[in-house]
Amino acid sequence: MVTLLRKYLGQFVDLSDEELGGLMNEIEVTSYDKKVRLIEVGDVEQYLHFIVKGLARKYFYKGKDEVITQLAREGELICSSVSFFSGKPSGYIVETIEPTTFYSLQKEKLEQLYVRFPNLEKMSRLIITELFLQKEHWELERIRYSTKERFLRFMEGNPDLFQRVPQKFLASYLNIKPETFSRLKHLLRNKKGETTPAK
Amino acid sequence: MDTRGYFEHTFIYLKRFMDLGRNDFDLIMPLLELRTYDKKTFVLQQGEVDHHLNIVLKGIVRKYVIAPKGEVTIQLATEGHLVQSEISYHKLIPSDIILETLESTVLVSLHRNNINYAVEHFPGAEQLARTIVTQMFIKKDNRYREQLNISTRERFLRYLNNHPHMLQRVPQKILASYLNIKPETFSRLKHLVKRK
Repeated sequence: MVTLLRKYLGQFVDLSDEELGGLMNEIEVTSYDKKVRLIEVGDVEQYLHFIVKGLARKYFYKGKDEVITQLAREGELICSSVSFFSGKPSGYIVETIEPTTFYSLQKEKLEQLYVRFPNLEKMSRLIITELFLQKEHWELERIRYSTKERFLRFMEGNPDLFQRVPQKFLASYLNIKPETFSRLKHLLRNKKGETTPAK
Repeated sequence: MDTRGYFEHTFIYLKRFMDLGRNDFDLIMPLLELRTYDKKTFVLQQGEVDHHLNIVLKGIVRKYVIAPKGEVTIQLATEGHLVQSEISYHKLIPSDIILETLESTVLVSLHRNNINYAVEHFPGAEQLARTIVTQMFIKKDNRYREQLNISTRERFLRYLNNHPHMLQRVPQKILASYLNIKPETFSRLKHLVKRK
C-alpha cells in the first residue's frame, strides 16, 4: 500500500526514506463501506485523502440534482479541496462509491511536516499545481470538444471507470444528459467491433 | 507610473498572498521583469511555450482558446491578477492558450528560471509559491462550480456587480464569451445593470 503512495508522490519529488517515514507516521488508515459520506456541505474539510483501494466521488447539489465534479480511484487524491486549502465551509460532498480504504492526512499534521521536512512543502506545491492543471485541462476539454468527442476521449482514457462507475454518475461528471449518454454508448461497442478483427 | 511605482504595486500585490517583509521583497526584486504592451498585442501566441508567471500592473490581458465555435475567453486579468498559460508553463509544451492585451498593458513577469532560483534560495519563497498556486486553484474551482450551478442571469449580475468597470473596458462579445452567455442574451440582460 505504501508503494502506491510512494509512486504517486514520486511524480512530484524524490522522497527520502526519512521523509516518507515522517509522512507515514502522521497518516491515518481508514476504511469505509460504499456510499459513505466523508464530508457534508457546510463542514470544513480537515483531511486530504489518498485512495489505496476503492472509488469515491465529489459532488454538489444543484436543486435536487447531484453534480459530480470528481471521480477518484486507487492512487488518486480526493477531498473537498477548496475547503481544505481555504478553511472555509465545504460546497461539496465527498462520498465513497465502492468500499474504500484511504490514507488520510490532517491539515494540521501536514503543516507541521513542512517545518520538519521542507521537501514536503515543495511536494505540496507541486501537487496543488497538478490539481490546478487537471481543472484547467478539464475546462479546455469542455470548451474544445463536442459532447460526443468528450465522451469518447474520456472513455478511451478511462475504460476501467466505465466498468466501475454507475452510468448516471459518469453522465453527471461528463455533464452529459443521461439519455444522451445511453445513446453514445453504442459508439464504444461499435469501436470494439471494429478493432477486434485487426488484432 | 514609473518603475519604482510598479515595483511598489508588485510588493502590495504579493503581500496579499503572505506576510512578506520589505527585506524578502528586496531579494525577489532583481528577478522581476517589467513588460509593456500596446493594446491588442499578443503576450503569448498559440504554439509558443510560456515561460513566465505574470501579474497585471496596468491594463487587461485576455486569456482565450480557439474552439470550433470560435474564440472562448477563459480569463480577463486586470490590475493585480495573475495570468499565464499554466499547462504550457508547467508541462513545457506549446500553448493552446492565447494571451492578448485588450488595453495598453504593463506586466510584472517572473521567468521560470527565476522562480526556481527564488524557491531554492530564498526563505519563504516556497511558501509564497505554494500560496499563489493554491489561490489560483481556489479561483478556478469556484468559477467552474459557478458555471455549473448558477443561472445565466445570476452569473451575469454577480460578475458585473463585482466588476462594474468591465462593461466599459471590455467589448461585450468578449464579456459574453467569458461568462458563457450568448451575445443576444447578454444584450438583453444589460438593462438590469443600467437601471442600478
